[in-house]
Amino acid sequence: MTQFVLAVVLGTLFALGTFLVLRRDVVRVVWGVVIVTQAANVYLVTMGGLSGVAPIVPGHGEAVTATAVTDPLVQALVLTAIVISLGTTAFALVLTYRIYEEHGTIDLFELGRRDEGDGGNEGGTEDFARSVADGGERCTADDSENETRTTSENESGRSEASVGG
Amino acid sequence: MVEFAAWSATFVHTVPLATTANSPPSPPIPSPLVAILPLLAPLATAVGALLVRRSDRAQRAVSVLGAIAYLGAVAALYAAVAEQGTLTYQLSDWQAPFGITVVADSLSVFTLAFAAALSLAAVVFSVLYVDSYGQRVSYHPLYHFMMVGVTGSFLTGDVFNLFVWFEVMLLSSYVLVAFYSGPEHTRAALGYAVLNLLGGAVMLVAIGGLYATTGTLNIADMARRLANASEYGIDPVPVLGLSAVLFSVFALKAGLVPFQFWVPAAYRAAPAPVAAMLAGVVKKVGIYAIVRLNFTVFATATLPAGLSLPGFVGESFLSFYGPILFVMAAASILVGGIGAISREDLDSMLAYSSIGQIGFVTLPLAVGATVPAIRPLAIAASLVYALNHGVAKALLYLVSGTIEDTVGTVRFRDLGGIAVRDPVLGGSFLLGALALIGIPPLSGFFAKLLVFDTSGSALALDGRGAALAIAIGLTGSILTIVYFSRAWTRGFWGPPGRAIEFWGGADDGAVSGDGRATTDGGTATDPVPEGAAEVESTSPSVGLVGIVAVLALSLVVLGLGFDPVADAAMAAAEAALDREGYVRAVLGGTG
Repeated sequence: MTQFVLAVVLGTLFALGTFLVLRRDVVRVVWGVVIVTQAANVYLVTMGGLSGVAPIVPGHGEAVTATAVTDPLVQALVLTAIVISLGTTAFALVLTYRIYEEHGTIDLFELGRRDEGDGGNEGGTEDFARSVADGGERCTADDSENETRTTSENESGRSEASVGG
Repeated sequence: MVEFAAWSATFVHTVPLATTANSPPSPPIPSPLVAILPLLAPLATAVGALLVRRSDRAQRAVSVLGAIAYLGAVAALYAAVAEQGTLTYQLSDWQAPFGITVVADSLSVFTLAFAAALSLAAVVFSVLYVDSYGQRVSYHPLYHFMMVGVTGSFLTGDVFNLFVWFEVMLLSSYVLVAFYSGPEHTRAALGYAVLNLLGGAVMLVAIGGLYATTGTLNIADMARRLANASEYGIDPVPVLGLSAVLFSVFALKAGLVPFQFWVPAAYRAAPAPVAAMLAGVVKKVGIYAIVRLNFTVFATATLPAGLSLPGFVGESFLSFYGPILFVMAAASILVGGIGAISREDLDSMLAYSSIGQIGFVTLPLAVGATVPAIRPLAIAASLVYALNHGVAKALLYLVSGTIEDTVGTVRFRDLGGIAVRDPVLGGSFLLGALALIGIPPLSGFFAKLLVFDTSGSALALDGRGAALAIAIGLTGSILTIVYFSRAWTRGFWGPPGRAIEFWGGADDGAVSGDGRATTDGGTATDPVPEGAAEVESTSPSVGLVGIVAVLALSLVVLGLGFDPVADAAMAAAEAALDREGYVRAVLGGTG
């Protein structure tokens, strides 16, 4: 029975995580990654076997009397994995906020559309504006005579987007 | 967080187990400290760089000295392994297979050696290249934490520990990819992070399954148990599936097709020295893991006859992986090569090129997996190619970084004529490109030669698909020639492009003055209006060009003095295939 319940729970968690990873919203994607990671952790616990008693040694130097103990190693593995996923989740959430600051949106379709826009931009002035705005340390030769005007337009447009969005 | 993750992995999961203790206790194995020195050096450097973060100069000094110490530690380990054979270190003296074992064999030290050498070059380049604001707090600690992860992955003898080192390496590299934090950088980092986090979860699933099936996490113990599967009561069929899951994660790290799509965006977003390390070293961690686990561990198991898998012939795990590796390698070579031809800037072209070159690293592995007789040659070819690609691609990324640092762009249509303005930089790019194309006497010639020699030997032994491997290799080589010729003619030959006009002295065109290119230590300068009198000439930093030139020379040196490299690669290949020696070194007693 325990095995059946755990199998259903694991399947549901992996399905839910996968569903969320495929959403448009970056926050939901991060949630999806978190759920998939936790599902992997639950799976890891089940890999130690579900029967047996807790592997508790009665005292120092005494022999273990119980014959069938549950494998405690997987629980230690899960602790390590949880610590790692805590760090990566924190980073993913901060990155999400940063994406919102930079793009004014956390919709993946919007982000993708901007990506295509960059690719098709023959003049490349947007890239230029970004390289100035991003690093703040580089400058390049002019692309064209109206570069200065386009650059400032792009920059103001971008900052408006990130403030207003 | 990163230290803690590494720390917890080091100590938390070394719980001894009554349930898995069905092997006799091993005799105590001497634990030479030299085996973990390459781990301690970058760890100490990263912590030290964090401690002295108040002082820019002290932090940079710690970082560079740490990279030198890392190289020294790796050299010491290399010498020790060459002298005494495989070295092991049991962490906290928990004996294998219960504790975590650090194993340094010829394969590990071969990959570590070029990682350490490239790391030093990249650190020195970073100090000169990354702007001082960026270097102030996080850059150097993150960089060295990444190297801790890389080193740990090369040295660990425990599958779960491998997962931890992967995460240490990746967590640092996420931040380094997002380092400039602009729109494209954050977007690239999101894709990179989400993919690798999912990869981590999948890896965990595979490791959990392998633990449940084989009853051990120790790589050597797993190899021993799989070699005597019936004795230990292991069913090899589930192990095959789980190993395939694990393999897909390694392929993701290596950027093999169909897991290549994160590569171009991440490499473009990362600062040049980090891109050099990601392409040159971090990718090779995936290749190393494939060699270590598939060729040392899983190769030893035999599958029951009559396993009804489509297109599967044979009883070895490797005869299952051969066609898979081949398809992935061939697709990588073609996708990378064709993708690189149509790129409009140097960074993207190099990123696609590295997808293609990883295909060349994998191709001999595929042939070797299918034809057992030539396995040592195949692995040696793969390792030599990995070394050559590591050095050459790091060099090319640093050239790209130098150009960007000087003129602020790497788009081909703005470049042109760099070879005339700066022969050293142009010559270095040419050497790197020729090394990847495979022109003697550069190291790339021998790498290509060995790759083709592997396929040719397989053909002579009537290996299945060897002729196809040669054809793919030739196609890939032609594609390499095409995209590097294009980069060379558009970026380095011909009349100076718009961005290059003021490079190396304002001679011609300086008076036209419709703009200027500057790079003065991290201050953005607005374009000067037309007719401005102040026109500065720019030239790349001597230090940056110097590092690039040193790397270019090392390609020549590796090519001219190829014998020791070949010997080291052969020793590494034999170590990768010597399961019994590996098991004996880790567990003692009989393999």
